[in-house]
Amino acid sequence: MEEDKTNSENPLKVNRRHFFSQLSVGIGSLALGSLLIPDLFKGGPAPLASQPLGIPHFAPKAKRVIYLFQSGAPSQLESFDYKPTLAKRMGEDLPESIRNGQRLTGMTAGQDKFPLMPSAAKFAQHGKSGAWVSEFFPHIAKISDEICIVRSMHTEAINHDPAITFFQTGSQQSGRPSMGSWMSYGLGSENQNLPSFVVLTSRGKGNSQGLYSKLWSSGFLDSKHQGVLLRSGKDPVLYLNDPDGISRSDKRHLLDHVSSLNKIHHVETGDDEIESRIAQYEMAYRMQMSVPDVMDIKKEPESIIKLYGEDSQVPGTYAANCLQARRLAENGVRFIQLYHQGWDQHGNLPNEMAGQAKDVDQASAALILDLKQRGMLEDTLVIWGGEFGRTNYCQGNFDPKNYGRDHHPRAFSIWMAGGGIKPGITYGETDEFGYNIVKNPVHINDFHATIMNNLGLDHEQLIYKYQGRRFRLTDVAGNVVNDILT
Amino acid sequence: MAQKNSSPWVDYVIFGLTVFLVFCLIFESFIDLPSLVAWLGRWHPLILHFPIVLLLMAAVIGLFNQMVPKLLLMVATLSALVTAITGFFLGTESVPKGDLLFWHQWMGAGVAILAVVWYWVSTNHLQQTYLVKGIQVVLIILVGLTGHYGGMVTHGEDFLALPRSKKLEKIPENPLIYEHIVYRVLDNNCIACHNPNKIKGELLMTSIGELIKGGESGPALVVGDPGNSELIRRLHLPMEDEEHMPPEGKKPLSENEIQILERWIALGASDTLKLSHLDNDEPLVGMVRKMMEPGTINSWAKLPKVSDSTLQNLASDYVTIKRIASNSQALSVSVYLPPEYDPKNITDLNRISNNIVELDLSGIPIGEKEMDLVATCKNLEWLEVDRTPITDAEFAKITGLENLRVLKAYETGISDESVAILKDFKGLKSLYVWDTQMSDQGLSELREAMPNLHLDYGIDPELKMEFIEKDTIVDSIQ
Repeated sequence: MEEDKTNSENPLKVNRRHFFSQLSVGIGSLALGSLLIPDLFKGGPAPLASQPLGIPHFAPKAKRVIYLFQSGAPSQLESFDYKPTLAKRMGEDLPESIRNGQRLTGMTAGQDKFPLMPSAAKFAQHGKSGAWVSEFFPHIAKISDEICIVRSMHTEAINHDPAITFFQTGSQQSGRPSMGSWMSYGLGSENQNLPSFVVLTSRGKGNSQGLYSKLWSSGFLDSKHQGVLLRSGKDPVLYLNDPDGISRSDKRHLLDHVSSLNKIHHVETGDDEIESRIAQYEMAYRMQMSVPDVMDIKKEPESIIKLYGEDSQVPGTYAANCLQARRLAENGVRFIQLYHQGWDQHGNLPNEMAGQAKDVDQASAALILDLKQRGMLEDTLVIWGGEFGRTNYCQGNFDPKNYGRDHHPRAFSIWMAGGGIKPGITYGETDEFGYNIVKNPVHINDFHATIMNNLGLDHEQLIYKYQGRRFRLTDVAGNVVNDILT
Repeated sequence: MAQKNSSPWVDYVIFGLTVFLVFCLIFESFIDLPSLVAWLGRWHPLILHFPIVLLLMAAVIGLFNQMVPKLLLMVATLSALVTAITGFFLGTESVPKGDLLFWHQWMGAGVAILAVVWYWVSTNHLQQTYLVKGIQVVLIILVGLTGHYGGMVTHGEDFLALPRSKKLEKIPENPLIYEHIVYRVLDNNCIACHNPNKIKGELLMTSIGELIKGGESGPALVVGDPGNSELIRRLHLPMEDEEHMPPEGKKPLSENEIQILERWIALGASDTLKLSHLDNDEPLVGMVRKMMEPGTINSWAKLPKVSDSTLQNLASDYVTIKRIASNSQALSVSVYLPPEYDPKNITDLNRISNNIVELDLSGIPIGEKEMDLVATCKNLEWLEVDRTPITDAEFAKITGLENLRVLKAYETGISDESVAILKDFKGLKSLYVWDTQMSDQGLSELREAMPNLHLDYGIDPELKMEFIEKDTIVDSIQ
């Protein structure tokens, strides 16, 4: 009903449907006309949530998420999905019964043969759980008892942009709000001095795919839920620092006056974005104090720096971002999204992937250990994974020392840790070729539903109405994967 | 019985309201109420008492063959209509409508319309006919049912259920597996339908003997063989299956409860087995312990009410106060370091200290005053005082927080002197105390006293060395 209030306050904020529906109760006889045009009175005013916003629907297991996104799609066959059959049948053509009509990208659609290619990395079982992890990830192997490896993720997209957009927004087409924005919208901020959704990017030497700010856009949600990209170096947020000669109190006066002007404008036009803008100015003002403090890793002891690897001293690296992510999580940021680019190994996979793994392995594992010793793994959900998997057959020249793999949407591996996820388990299974899922498939919608569940949100209840349609992160699908919850 | 002095406009009003009510009901899904009209719905709980009393009074008078005063019937009918319409307004606030609300709405509308019919009949000189008698009887029943459903909507479905003290009984320290655990599961989930009064499927579940005897589908329990026990088979069927138990609409058993039943049957379905008879590595022990844990959610139900405005007053840019979940009185409080710190920010929280179940004071330069506040948070389950300057002296203030589950006190000045206080936190599950003054001796004393405690003394040194020494990525491939 709050919406009605704002609507009645501003005469400009009436839409057609609303106009008619206001009329419908006032003048009963007119409403009878609705018999002729049933749709006339359908639908209420804009956003709609059957649960109050800013509070979890039920007691959460996790308060925040750190999503270590491996952009470009790391191969599951060289990381967490061990397939000895590929070595036994090396070079044989992928049986059509296994491929079963899977559409291919333009990059291998022209190949007349699809020779099976085994992993160049050796696998071994680790920890009490006996999880299979490849030698590319020696540190993650050491913490395998803390994580839950899901080997049965699947998606519909076969190219990077739709696939990553799907992971981030629940839709292959861009325009929907990012996961972090949904969480910010649904759960509100934990710390008023920092944005609730923060993005950190880094880039490896491997073949990269682009990252666009649309991935952390708030879509049709209020723009205050948009992800804030923190840059490495002197100015984590551009234009945040005051110019020389401007004191903080001058800035305060300035903001107060701008805000009063903006409020007048808001009364005139009723544009909600003006209110968002006022809120963002205020947030920026507070961030002037909070951000430099949070981003200053000089306060970290040497043992922590070394734990994350020497790279963590170099701003802009994945390791530095992991350390940063921990500091942001400590300071109440709800959703910390990391991207590490360079996982698109169409060729030269063994070399490139070893390099990429070296970038992320120690820091990812260190993050888990560090969160654990701080008791933060109890309420922080960490996710590691890419946008799809890679084919079990070779792309390009058949050379076991230097091969490539194309995109594969039907099965791939990710891992999660903390925040209500069972540690030390491996969930889901692929066939002996690592091509199709044979047990416990997890779709991206299920993945989203599970994350939301652990954050105390019912994915079917967090709804936003826009352009006459109700939207959810999980759209019209998604089942919580209860088997991997504590 | 003609009543010449009845004014026609009352009839018009009644007619108008009836039409409006019917219209509302028919076009329910197309109607979007302006806020003022919706607000009128809020008066429903007040007004509804009038038609209940007046209609019952009128109907009873009629059934005793007395003359029903026209004025009484008129006011009763009017109030029934107004109640039904305001009720309709109120109902639009909750979407989707549950079963209760659905029936309440239609029966309520039925009452109003029936009252109108009676009113109309009686103004047309037909006071003492069987038709009217029938209407009166149906009205009494409908008013009762509508009221009952309405009551369930506001007070919850089991508001009128007879008190069942057994459910709330605490499980004893060393329970009998059948009597205290298995029977509780059956009693909570099955016995409502499989008791001597109901005997669904000719199965009684009130004793082990009856379970072995079974019902229509044969024995429900085969001693030592859960796989062949009908009881277990039905619990495992997919929800959609006709034979799944409990049937559709009833709360299914939790995974833990099913496993307890299975394991108990596998172990021989004994009624004398006690928890202490079992080895510690017997899976049933863990399952039973899980069931014995006091439900945190239940303890939250007893927290005092705290208003949103209080929370808003106490919160600031540096103090975040959130409800754990919507409609919960349990609060989670996080404090961040402001440019100028004042202990008052924290000590002011004493107004809500009973509601705080999570308190994060990490990195705040807290001292005795703040710890005094912490000590008043009797329901605290999660406390973060890591990276603070507290020492044993301050820590000693917070004795006896028996609900405390998680305590983070790493990077503080506490030492072995605090071990005694820590031992007193009976419910403690996780404790983080690395980088403190605590000695190995103190730690092992603590470990001994609290064997189930997860005591985190930092990353395993060996593992840490492996991380710190050198990057161990394979060189063979590069």
